[in-house]
Amino acid sequence: MSLFLLLLFPVVLLAQSTINGKITAEGTGETVPFANVIEKGTSNGTTTDIDGNYSIQVSKLPVTLVISSLGYATTEVQATSTAPLNVIVAVSAQALEEVVISGLASSIKRSNAANAVSSISSAQLTGTTPPPTLDGALYGKFPGAVINANSGAPGGGLSVKLRGATSIQGNTQPLYIIDGIYIDNSSIAVGLNAVSAAAAGGSASNQDNPSNRIADINPEDIETMEILKGASAAAMYGSRAAAGVIIITTKKGKSGETKFNFSQSTGWTEVIELLGVRDYNEQRVLDSFGPEAVQEFIAARNEGRLIDYEKELFGNKGFLTNTNFSMSGGGDKTRFYTGVTHNNEEGIVENTGYEKTSLRLNLDHNATDFLKFALSSNYIYSSSDRGFFNNDNTGTTMGVSLTSTTPWLQLFPNASGVFPDNPAGSSNILQTRELVKNNEKVNRIIMGGSANLFLFRTDNSSLELILRGGLDFYNQQSIALFPKELQFQKPSNGGLNGVSVQGTTQNKNYNLSSFLVHNFTTSSNLNFRTQVGLTNEFFDRNSFLVTASGLIASESNVDQAANTGVDQFRFKQEDSGFLVQEEVNYQDKFIATLGLRGDKSSNNGDANDLNYYPKGSLAVNINNLGFWNSNTKWNQFKVRAAYGEAGNFPPPAALFTSYNSFTSGGVLGLSLIGVRGDTNIKSERSKEFETGIDVSFFNNRLSFSGTYYIKKVEDLILNAALEPSTGFNSQFVNAGNLENKGIELSLDAIPVSTTNFQWTTGVNFFKNESEITKLDVPAFNVGGFGATLGTFRIEEGQSATQIVGIGPNPGPNGFQVYGDAEPDFIMGFSNNLKYKDLELSFLWQWKQGGDNINLTALLTDLSGTSHDFDTIDLDPNGVLGNGPYRISQLGASAEVFVEDASYLRLRELGLYYNIPQRFVSTILNGSIDNIKFGFSGTNLINIFDYNSYDPEVSNFGGNGIFTGVEVTPFPSSKRYLFHVSVNF
Amino acid sequence: MKKYINKITLFLLFAAITTACTVEEFSDLNGPEVNGFENGIAPGDLQDLVGGIFYSSRVSLGTYFDDVGVIGREYYRFASSDPRFTSDLLGRENAVLDNNTFYITNPWAGRYRTVKNANLILGFLENPETISQFTTAQLNATKGFLKTFIAYELLLNLNLTDENGIRIDVADETNIGPFVSKTAALAGIRSKLEEAAVDLAAGGSSFPFSLTAGFSGFDTPSSFLKFNKALTARVAAYQGNFPDVITNLNQSFLELNGNLNTGVSYVFSLDQTDIANPMFFALNSSTAGARITQPNFVSDAEAGDTRLNKVVLRNEPLTLDGLTGAYDVFIYQSNIDPIPIIRNEELILLYAEANIFSNPGAAVTALNIIRNSAGLAPYAGGMDQASLIQEMLKQRRYSLYAEGHRWIDIRRYNLLNTLPIDRVGDDVFSKFPIPLTENQ
Repeated sequence: MSLFLLLLFPVVLLAQSTINGKITAEGTGETVPFANVIEKGTSNGTTTDIDGNYSIQVSKLPVTLVISSLGYATTEVQATSTAPLNVIVAVSAQALEEVVISGLASSIKRSNAANAVSSISSAQLTGTTPPPTLDGALYGKFPGAVINANSGAPGGGLSVKLRGATSIQGNTQPLYIIDGIYIDNSSIAVGLNAVSAAAAGGSASNQDNPSNRIADINPEDIETMEILKGASAAAMYGSRAAAGVIIITTKKGKSGETKFNFSQSTGWTEVIELLGVRDYNEQRVLDSFGPEAVQEFIAARNEGRLIDYEKELFGNKGFLTNTNFSMSGGGDKTRFYTGVTHNNEEGIVENTGYEKTSLRLNLDHNATDFLKFALSSNYIYSSSDRGFFNNDNTGTTMGVSLTSTTPWLQLFPNASGVFPDNPAGSSNILQTRELVKNNEKVNRIIMGGSANLFLFRTDNSSLELILRGGLDFYNQQSIALFPKELQFQKPSNGGLNGVSVQGTTQNKNYNLSSFLVHNFTTSSNLNFRTQVGLTNEFFDRNSFLVTASGLIASESNVDQAANTGVDQFRFKQEDSGFLVQEEVNYQDKFIATLGLRGDKSSNNGDANDLNYYPKGSLAVNINNLGFWNSNTKWNQFKVRAAYGEAGNFPPPAALFTSYNSFTSGGVLGLSLIGVRGDTNIKSERSKEFETGIDVSFFNNRLSFSGTYYIKKVEDLILNAALEPSTGFNSQFVNAGNLENKGIELSLDAIPVSTTNFQWTTGVNFFKNESEITKLDVPAFNVGGFGATLGTFRIEEGQSATQIVGIGPNPGPNGFQVYGDAEPDFIMGFSNNLKYKDLELSFLWQWKQGGDNINLTALLTDLSGTSHDFDTIDLDPNGVLGNGPYRISQLGASAEVFVEDASYLRLRELGLYYNIPQRFVSTILNGSIDNIKFGFSGTNLINIFDYNSYDPEVSNFGGNGIFTGVEVTPFPSSKRYLFHVSVNF
Repeated sequence: MKKYINKITLFLLFAAITTACTVEEFSDLNGPEVNGFENGIAPGDLQDLVGGIFYSSRVSLGTYFDDVGVIGREYYRFASSDPRFTSDLLGRENAVLDNNTFYITNPWAGRYRTVKNANLILGFLENPETISQFTTAQLNATKGFLKTFIAYELLLNLNLTDENGIRIDVADETNIGPFVSKTAALAGIRSKLEEAAVDLAAGGSSFPFSLTAGFSGFDTPSSFLKFNKALTARVAAYQGNFPDVITNLNQSFLELNGNLNTGVSYVFSLDQTDIANPMFFALNSSTAGARITQPNFVSDAEAGDTRLNKVVLRNEPLTLDGLTGAYDVFIYQSNIDPIPIIRNEELILLYAEANIFSNPGAAVTALNIIRNSAGLAPYAGGMDQASLIQEMLKQRRYSLYAEGHRWIDIRRYNLLNTLPIDRVGDDVFSKFPIPLTENQ
């Protein structure tokens, strides 16, 4: 962001006088770094350095300086001489003077913004507790998002959905842009399906649950994140922006003394909760497992070797370390920020874990005062071991085999390390845990550069050229290794004698853009800002997955095997577009924007057809219209409205009707894939209107923002069911419309702000409702395992995420409605309390409503191992235990599988102590600026009434809107961390 | 200053050039597109396209056999990760066959996929570009091959939905024909087979493509015609048209004293793009995946019936969902063994069946061939139709065990109510519902 600031307020050539000073905060006396200092009525300005010092050249004296900074009230002071001018600014709850994105090459003061753009600062992101992954840090921090962890496996795997359903089967994840670079957020399957055969049954979807690649981004590097939640704010990003855009700006160097920061966090992670073991007795064992099991049960009980295998499997306390070192500094012309972070995290299952190393170098160079360059570069290495979980059809994953593992079984290895076969199932979970390897390794380079050139600049107008380029390149290597010693790999058990699946993916995205920004201010302070630009994006991916079975000796190399098969997947896309935008600001009273983006893409039916995405917005600052006198408690009263359109590409396969190649006993052949493409398929179009008010009082210590939006998605791309007798199971069609309506409310306050004690608090609230408003194909079930077990159903007039199933009282369509995955509302409640050198912050998140399809209980029921098998609280007649009751419902009603997935969590808790300055200054001759100790945690308190490990789960991964189907997942975990941080 | 301006101008120029370019259009980067063949196919293409028929005819084949075998009470299919094999298929308590669950949707779609693969090739063969590359005999042979496969695949789907019927006319995916009754469907399948027979008869001496090893001995148009006739005999039996059964058997590869296993098979391999034999489970498999013989198969057998070698006594009985069995189904010794499509043993039994109504003596002769081969003494029961039918069904039960016949045979003779019920409240279903997405 500071790059923008530098561009917007460049130093004037004719400067004559220099004013210096220091900016400090009211109450605490802390210095205010990176505050904007602007000569009022001009575009001349600067920012303070890390110690709050500024230096500005002005053309004449006296002059009024406007000082603004995130989290502080804007202050105006008059400078009459070049004597040092120190300014004290008041703390404000709402970051009114913060700037937010308003176009690809422009930003706008938040107080003038017509969209509810949410911003998350570095302090909010990582200040309370270091998040395991970037997307995991977003929970509860702004209204308008549903964030869901698909799996508790280390290394991420989250979905972020902004403002409800964007697409039924297309992309629903926001576009991530870091320092102008388009970031890939794919999840690439590692090929577990070769062993689990999860896709062989009712569902064709990939259930490997790989991590998503945004997890590579290091949260410690981030200065701010801005969330453009829908088309009204993101229209200028055109054909990729329908699901919203998350703009990330990384930390930049500041000129002055070189500053170092070292921080170390160490702690552990453990499972949130275990379900427990069924309360077995002889009769129950006899009923569920037969007479022989009773003997084994009694023998084991008498010998005291009944084993809680759930605890054995998930009871690991994973060791966590997170080391971060950063350095920032530079001179007037060149500034740098560099950081290195190393994370090493073990999972709650032995032999799972996540390791990441991230290196960043950001450089800013002012060649002259009208020409600036910036470089953002990042290298990341990450490696995740994710275990073998989720659905399968072979009884081999640890999750599914745990369901049939009873306490009297003996699964531990003998003295020479040989595991016994599990007589009650096809795999021994302890052996699987020990021997199966499921690893993803990523080497990634993200680089971007920009050049800003003022072609001309006068007092009231300027023309700036901005050129940007970005590259995101990574190589992902995956290995899923199932050695031949595994029970289910032994040929005598029908196994394949070892399977090794190795994948490699090369992904290269790059984007180029150029903009011209013209600024013109009339004498009546009417400001016009015009921007035109060209953009070009390229995407290129090539994946190979080699599956080898029948491994030779103990080899894992795929050529050391009896059978080898290769899958290749290629993806290429090229997009090109232009944009024009006009922003008009009349004395900060009326701010209007009109814009148009045109995009073409190789992924459209007609590649060179331009799709146009318009936008328009108006904000009125009623407080500036002169109704209130200057002593009013009203600091802001803004009403705003915005409209915009954005697109969502069809998946690449949607264009083609194709064959795939196979063999049959050595005879090669081509068979239809079963999906009928449409060469004329159009992008989905999201049309969003939002309106809202922003008000603040009491020197901005209390502020409220409310937004109502209607997001319509037209030309929904559906992989709609086709009569299978056509030879195709489905076809891609533009065949429906969808509407989301929602409200977002946020309230921020600083109830107390004294020298010794400050309390800031914030509440946000989000509610969304969706409806399929038009459907041109017959209603269809999607996203589950069929109506017997509960499924989603796309049906005109109904919520896009309704859950239906078979049942005793079916509607006219033959199905009974049991729920909806859409939450009733989501709330976040954050607090930060500072007393002298002690700081406590915590964040609660509450998701009310929203249903899951929970099949874990059913699988344990069928094996007679459910923890609540004998509890009687489901059967309305009060006769059957929960296990037998659920089984009795199988095939008759899906009701019992649909469960409320509400939760209330203490997402983040942090308690920090800053060593008082008077002690710090005595260490090492005062060369240490600050030392901080602390404790923090994630998910320390979790309240939910959901019959499994965590209501946050998704067997089918993050894309699509059909999350919340649960089949024996990797349980989620809580984290405890201890910190020490030193600035010097 | 000037230096910078020059550099920037160059950069600008570069930027303008790259952005002003038109966007490149890509074809499917991951597989051949259908419309790539619409301008005619070469002999190499034909081989690849026909190869796809062999492939897709085996997709979800295991599910088909499990559907027929489980409902026909030949065996239980245990799968701890999918409860519906033991609930829905056996009609446990309130459970019924769902019209949108894998047990019907997957095999149904797999068979129609093959039909579509074949119909597309038949379309490509009409293209003048294609015609110019092949002889008339080659074109005829190919058409006969494809039509035979279409008919066979349709028959398998009809076996599942039975009285609910199937669609016959599905060549144009944008305008598919209606569902037709079972009678009309059988007639349609018959006439498709008969068209194919005409084509094959004019098909010259060889196919313009190679077939899998499963067609060994049936890989020329004239020998393939015998396979076609064998299938026609089966369809005629399903139609209850026994004179036609005999007529067609006479033109098939029936050999009363020949090897019972002579015939056509699906073949499998462990090649990664191939399919392994879906009917294979290792002995003593756990509830994660096993086929457990329905106990009556063993208890109903005559003493000394060597066909009991199709099941193997487990080390321990296996229980799931209230079902217990002590024997594993073990017809295939490995996961790459072939599975028969139709073989001489069935033809002999069809011959016996057809003769019950016209020439009981010949029927008994044929039945005794089967009995002798199973180590049993010649038939000594009554010569009335009912007794012979019962004996014939019994021999079919043991000879064709787990090959997808029992449920269909017992249904043909309206004897579903004689199948064993293993749990109180279980039902024997007579047909699968039409898949939901057929929008019927």
